[in-house]
Amino acid sequence: MLRELGALLRREWLRYIRTPVWIISSLLVPILYLILFGQGFNYPGGPAQYLGAPNYISYFAAGMVGFVALTMSLFSGANVIFDKGLGIVKRQAATPAPRSVIFLSPLIFRSLIALLPAFLVLGLAILLAHIPGFVGLTISGSVGVLGAFEIVIAVLVLALMFNALFLAFGFALESPQSYFGIVNLLNLPILFTSNALYPPGVGPDWLHQIAEYNPVSLCVNVLRENLFGSSSYYPYIPEVYLMGLLAWAAAFISLAVVLGRRALRTP
Amino acid sequence: MPDAIVCENLVKVYGGVIRAVDGVSLDVPEGEAFGLLGPNGAGKTTMVSILTTLVRPTSGRAIVDGLDVAKHPEEVRRRIGLAFQVSTADGELTGRENLEVAAGLQGIPAPEAHRRIRELLEQMQLAPAADRLVKGYSGGMRRRLELAVGVVHSPKILFLDEPTLGLDPQGRAGFWDYIRHLRKDTGVTLFLTTHYLEEADQLCERLAIVDHGKIVATGRPDELKQRTGGDTVVVKPSHGEDLAPILSAVPGALAVQVIAGAYRVKCDRGEAMVPLIVTACDRAGVEIASVEIRKPSLDEVFLELTGREYREEDTEHGGWASERLGQMRGGRP
Ligand SMILES: Nc1ncnc2c1ncn2[C@@H]1O[C@H](COP(=O)(O)OP(=O)(O)O)[C@@H](O)[C@H]1O
Ligand SMILES: [Mg+2]
Repeated sequence: MLRELGALLRREWLRYIRTPVWIISSLLVPILYLILFGQGFNYPGGPAQYLGAPNYISYFAAGMVGFVALTMSLFSGANVIFDKGLGIVKRQAATPAPRSVIFLSPLIFRSLIALLPAFLVLGLAILLAHIPGFVGLTISGSVGVLGAFEIVIAVLVLALMFNALFLAFGFALESPQSYFGIVNLLNLPILFTSNALYPPGVGPDWLHQIAEYNPVSLCVNVLRENLFGSSSYYPYIPEVYLMGLLAWAAAFISLAVVLGRRALRTP
Repeated sequence: MPDAIVCENLVKVYGGVIRAVDGVSLDVPEGEAFGLLGPNGAGKTTMVSILTTLVRPTSGRAIVDGLDVAKHPEEVRRRIGLAFQVSTADGELTGRENLEVAAGLQGIPAPEAHRRIRELLEQMQLAPAADRLVKGYSGGMRRRLELAVGVVHSPKILFLDEPTLGLDPQGRAGFWDYIRHLRKDTGVTLFLTTHYLEEADQLCERLAIVDHGKIVATGRPDELKQRTGGDTVVVKPSHGEDLAPILSAVPGALAVQVIAGAYRVKCDRGEAMVPLIVTACDRAGVEIASVEIRKPSLDEVFLELTGREYREEDTEHGGWASERLGQMRGGRP
């Protein structure tokens, strides 16, 4: 099992390093968002408006981390569709390797790779705060080792659950068109029903209800509550949000396993 | 010899209507080179897919190396090798890396895998290109890599689905050489599909001719050719006259058959028959459009068994990307 997993993880890695355009664009896009939108939408207001974040850009940058983890996962399923079109998945299925390995290797690799742009955004946002002429993320809390660990886990879990979901769609669907249809259907609704990009107080009440339970919100809450030391603005401690996120992940990953197994079953 | 492959009344129905495999029974003894010959759409790929555990049969049983494919798919996959009709190599990886991934998926430890891969690259004459990306490979190199991937774990039984599809005659002959060597060196059981008559003739000890999912004849290539019973002289009248009474009366005519408006006269030697036939028709006042001698061949067998001409067309169907693959393969010989 480990040898098979190793072989497929290596393939993922080789394919990754052979697509420099994608690597660069996947790192560049979030940076551009941060610089274009972040600098442009530097709304007035303080911690009271932004769930404890000292200003909008701090609030926005933390949200971007969750947003980036979500968008990176959209590409994973697309890759599977292309691999299927080229017969690569069929080749893997013809070997005695366990079916779970065929699903797990892109899941593991893609989730880890998603951390790169996500934390690049965080690092850059923190850096921008120190560059004159730019606004950036100001850490107003005291993030301890535990806080930093929680942040990494939250982003990783978010990446895992969305990668699992979109990989399952990739294995289950045949055409790129239907896959991108699903992506289009889910991507922005997930994003805009979260509190990632704009603060509460905007939009109707029912939207806030949804936003409270949106997995992207839960992930971003873990970041914000730790980064801005703003527990008075949140009903729960970060660990509770992390638990909520884990519950979502368990549900999504179970769904993905069911879909993935069906898709990889002998027709 | 125990049987490497046994099929009992295999049926595969797609979407409730298409009977891709329609009651196939066959057995292949260990070490034999067995061929499934048939035109496009005959059900060859579906047969291979069932035997290699990639498609579940609708009914019937398939035993590979003593194991029921439906009950022990993983164990069967361990013992078989497979080269797909359409190349499955990853274009963004080098030939060597493709083989390394394949070896890893077979659970072969790295040192052993490296030794084996070096040996295979050498045998398939891919060594000089081993560290180039496969997307730059020619069609022939891709076919050889596909074969190497299929045998990286030294399987007991090797399935080759149209292994030379799209190759030029020279590339095809070279590929046949690899297969012959492989058989001599390893004694592997070979289950090959092809729609090239010559390939079936050259490589297979025994053949099953398939059409519309059914086996229409089985036997050694020479046996099958014997079935046509000597030469055939094909006569076409200019104006659709009934030639049967005239041709049957020609001395030496063993049998007369009509397929698609052409009269087929069976005889021992076509060369001796042609002048007699021409004279007979002349006397009867019938104008002949064409006369042709056909030597015993698998085309003739197919025609007689199915009533249709055999056509070797290079078309294929597959995933949404297969069209693009076809173009890529067609690009270079
Ligand atoms: N996955 C599939 N779904 C529906 N029909 C299929 C599928 N695969 C093959 N067929 C149909 O089954 C028949 C046999 O196909 P195939 O086994 O590919 O033939 P061959 O390999 O001899 O060309 C064809 O009519 C083909 O269109
Ligand atoms: Mg085929």
